[in-house]
Amino acid sequence: MSKTEAGARKGASSRPQKSGPRGRLARSNDRAYFLMAIPALLVYALFYLYPTLTNLRYAFSEWDGLQEAKFIGFKNFTRSLTNDDTFYKVLGNNIEFTGLVVIFQTALSLLFAIFLLKNTRASVALRTLYFFPTILSSVSVAMVWQFLYEPNLGPLNVFLNSIGLDFLALNWLGSETITLRAVAFTQVWFHTGQMMVVYIAGLQQIPQELYEAAEVDGATRWQQFKSVTWPMALPTTAVVMAYTTIQSFRAFDLIYAMTQGGPNNSSSILVTLIYLTAFNEYRFGYAATQSIYLIVFILVLTAIQRRLLRTRY
Amino acid sequence: MKKEMGAKTFKLMIAGLFAISATIVPVTASFAAGEALGTKCTTEGESTGTKSTSLVCKENKSGRLVWAKVKLSDSNLSPIKPLRAPRGSIEFWHWRAEDKAIFDKIIADFQDLNPGVKVTQVISNSSDYTNTALNKVQSNPKAAVVTTFRGSQFNQAATAGLLKDLSNEQFAKRNVIKSMMGAGQYKGKQLGIPYQSLFNNPVYNIEIFKKEGWKLPKKFSDWISYCKTAKAAGYVPMAWMGAFRPQALQIINSSLMNTASTDAQLNAQIAAIDTGKDAITIKWVKDMAEKYADLRDAGCFPDNPKGVTEAAGNTLFATGKSPILPTGSFSMGGIVKLNEKMDGNMGLTGFNFTDDVNARYTGITNNTFILGINSKAGRTEQRIARAFISYLVNGEVATAYANGTKQHVTVLDVEYTDSNLRNTASIMSERLVLAPRFTFLNQGVRDILEDALIAIVGGETVDKALEEGAKLIKQKLG
Repeated sequence: MSKTEAGARKGASSRPQKSGPRGRLARSNDRAYFLMAIPALLVYALFYLYPTLTNLRYAFSEWDGLQEAKFIGFKNFTRSLTNDDTFYKVLGNNIEFTGLVVIFQTALSLLFAIFLLKNTRASVALRTLYFFPTILSSVSVAMVWQFLYEPNLGPLNVFLNSIGLDFLALNWLGSETITLRAVAFTQVWFHTGQMMVVYIAGLQQIPQELYEAAEVDGATRWQQFKSVTWPMALPTTAVVMAYTTIQSFRAFDLIYAMTQGGPNNSSSILVTLIYLTAFNEYRFGYAATQSIYLIVFILVLTAIQRRLLRTRY
Repeated sequence: MKKEMGAKTFKLMIAGLFAISATIVPVTASFAAGEALGTKCTTEGESTGTKSTSLVCKENKSGRLVWAKVKLSDSNLSPIKPLRAPRGSIEFWHWRAEDKAIFDKIIADFQDLNPGVKVTQVISNSSDYTNTALNKVQSNPKAAVVTTFRGSQFNQAATAGLLKDLSNEQFAKRNVIKSMMGAGQYKGKQLGIPYQSLFNNPVYNIEIFKKEGWKLPKKFSDWISYCKTAKAAGYVPMAWMGAFRPQALQIINSSLMNTASTDAQLNAQIAAIDTGKDAITIKWVKDMAEKYADLRDAGCFPDNPKGVTEAAGNTLFATGKSPILPTGSFSMGGIVKLNEKMDGNMGLTGFNFTDDVNARYTGITNNTFILGINSKAGRTEQRIARAFISYLVNGEVATAYANGTKQHVTVLDVEYTDSNLRNTASIMSERLVLAPRFTFLNQGVRDILEDALIAIVGGETVDKALEEGAKLIKQKLG
C-alpha cells in the first residue's frame, strides 16, 4: 500500500472523531479530497453526464436540431421496436459484425501471439509488421481496402481472376450478403496486431515452470496449450474481448468511409444508423432514442461477457 | 455661329462613332473564332460563351444549324458597374474554405476601391454551417453577407425573413444569367443571388467520340444505342459508381426532369413522394425506374455496378476505358488530377430520358452558394453588403473567382480561361432545369428511392425494388 493510500485510509477511519486536532485534520482532509475531485467531476458532468441526460430528454422528443423539441412520450421507442425494419436490420448487422470481429480478432491475435512469443529477431520484425496497421488512420485503411475490394479494377479480384479462381472474385462492397463480412475482415486486419501485443504481454506472464512440468508429464504442444496457456490466458482474453467488442461498436469511421452503410443499409451498424438518422435526415430525437437502445445493447452484451468469463477463471 | 455649328457637328460625329464602335466591337469580339450571326455552325448547343454578346449554335426554321443571339440576363441593358460602399466593416459568412484565398484577393481589391471598408470572411465547415449559421447571423449585426445552400437552408432563411429582397437591384437584373436565378427566389422575390453554377450532366471524352465517329445521344433510344455500340467496341459505356450514392444518382436529376409537363407538377409529384402522400410504386416513378432497367439491360453500366466506388468510376473515365462519366462538371477537376491528358478533353452533354428531342428540358444545372443580405444586419452594414455583392457579380471579378476556383458562375461577361470551363460553358445555353433531386426535402425518403434505383441497376426487378422501398418509406414517415 502506498503512503498516500495509507493516509487516505487513516483519514477515512478517523472520520467519526468530530472534535480535537485529529478531527479537524480529518475534516480538512475530506475537504481537500473533495476539492481535488472537483475538476474531474466538472469534466465528467460537462462532457458525459450533461450530454447523456440531454440525450435522454431528446429521446422522448421530436426534434430536427433547429426548432424547439416537441415532447412525444414513448413514441420513438415504440416505433423502433414495432415499425422500423431498418432498425432491426441494422441491429442484426451489429450483432453479426461484433460476433465476427470478436471471434476472429481474438483467435487470430492469440494465434499470432503464441507464434511470436519468443523475442527472436524474426519474431520482433513480424510483430512490428502485424502491429503496423494499428497506427494507420481508419479513413486511410478504408480507402486502401475500398481499392483492394473494387470488383472490376481492384487487385484482389484481378489476382483471383488471373489464377483461375473467378468464382471467388466477388462484388465485395456491392453485394448485400457479402459487404458486412468484407468490412468485418478489414476491421480484423486493422486491429489484430494491437490485440496480439496485449496477448504477448499476457502470455509472457505465464510461469515457465508450468510448461516444464507439463513437458515432464509428457504433454503434447496441444495439451500444453489446452491445459496451461488457455486457462492462464483467460484474464487477458477477457480484456481482449471486452476491448474488441468496444472497438467493433466504434467502427463508425471505417464503415462510413468504406460503404456509408450501403448497399441498402446492409453494412450499417447502430452507430452509422444513428449518425445518418441525426445528420442526414435531421431526426435528432429519433437518433437519440436509437442511441439509448445502443447503450442498452452494450450493457447487455457486457453483462453476458462478464458472466461468461467470470465463471471460467 | 459657324464655329459653334462645327463644334456641335464634331461632337455629334464623335458620339456617333462611339455608339457604332460600342455596338460593333463587342459583337465582333464574339466573331473572333469565325462565328457570325446567321452563319453555319456544326454542333448544336455550342456557344461563344456567356457574355452579353454571346452567340449560340441553334437549328433555324429550315433545320439548318446557325449562330444565333441569345439573351441571358433579365434586361436588355448591359451589366452595371460595382456600387460604392459607405465606410464600415462587415462579415461575409460562408462555408467554402477552399475559396478563402481567392476571396481574400477579391476582398482586398474591393477594400482598395472603397477606402474605409473592411470585409472579414467567417468560414465554417459545411455541416456546421448548415446546422448553426442561420441562428448565429440572426443576432449578429455585422454578419451582413450571408450565403445559403440551395434547398432547405435557403427556404428556412427565406421563411424566417432573414434575407433582404434584391428583386429591384440592377445587378440582380443585369449582371447575372436569368435562368440560373431560380434557386434564390422565394414567393416571387429574388432573395439571393446563386453565385455558383454546377452542371449535373454526363461528362464525355471528346477525343473518343471523335475517334469513334459517334454523335452525342440526344434522346433515350440514342443512349440505348450508344451503350450497345460502346460496349461492342470494348468500352464501359458509362463509368457509373453504384457504391457511392451521392454520385451514382446524379442521373436521377435527368431521369426526373421531364416526368411532368410543368415545373409545378414536377414539384407536386416530388412533394407527394416526400410526404408519403404517394408511394414510390406510383406509375410515374415506376416508368422512370424502368428506364434504369432498360439502361442496365443495354449494358450501359460497368460489371458489378453496385460495387464500383467513386475512385474506380473516375479511373474508368480518366483512363479512357469509359467515354462517359455520368456525374457532372464538378468531377472534372479530379479527372484532370488523375490524368493530365484529359485537360481540355472533356465536354458536357444532357441526358434526355425521353424520346422527344424537343422535351422541355435537355440539361441540369444546380445553382448554389446563394449570396444574400442579412436583413437583421445594421443599415450601413447592409449597404456595404449590397456594394460587395454588386462587386462579386461584376464580370471581371467573377472571372477571377471562376478561373481561380474552377467553378462556373452565374455571372454575365465572364471569360473562362480554364480550358475545361471553356469546353463546358456551352451547356449554359441548353434548356436547363434546376436539379430536381434537391426538391426532395426529406433526405431519408430520397435515399430510399435512390437505393431502390441502385438495386435495379444491380439486377433487382423494378417491382420488387420499389415495393421494398415503399415499405421502408411508409415506416419512416409513419
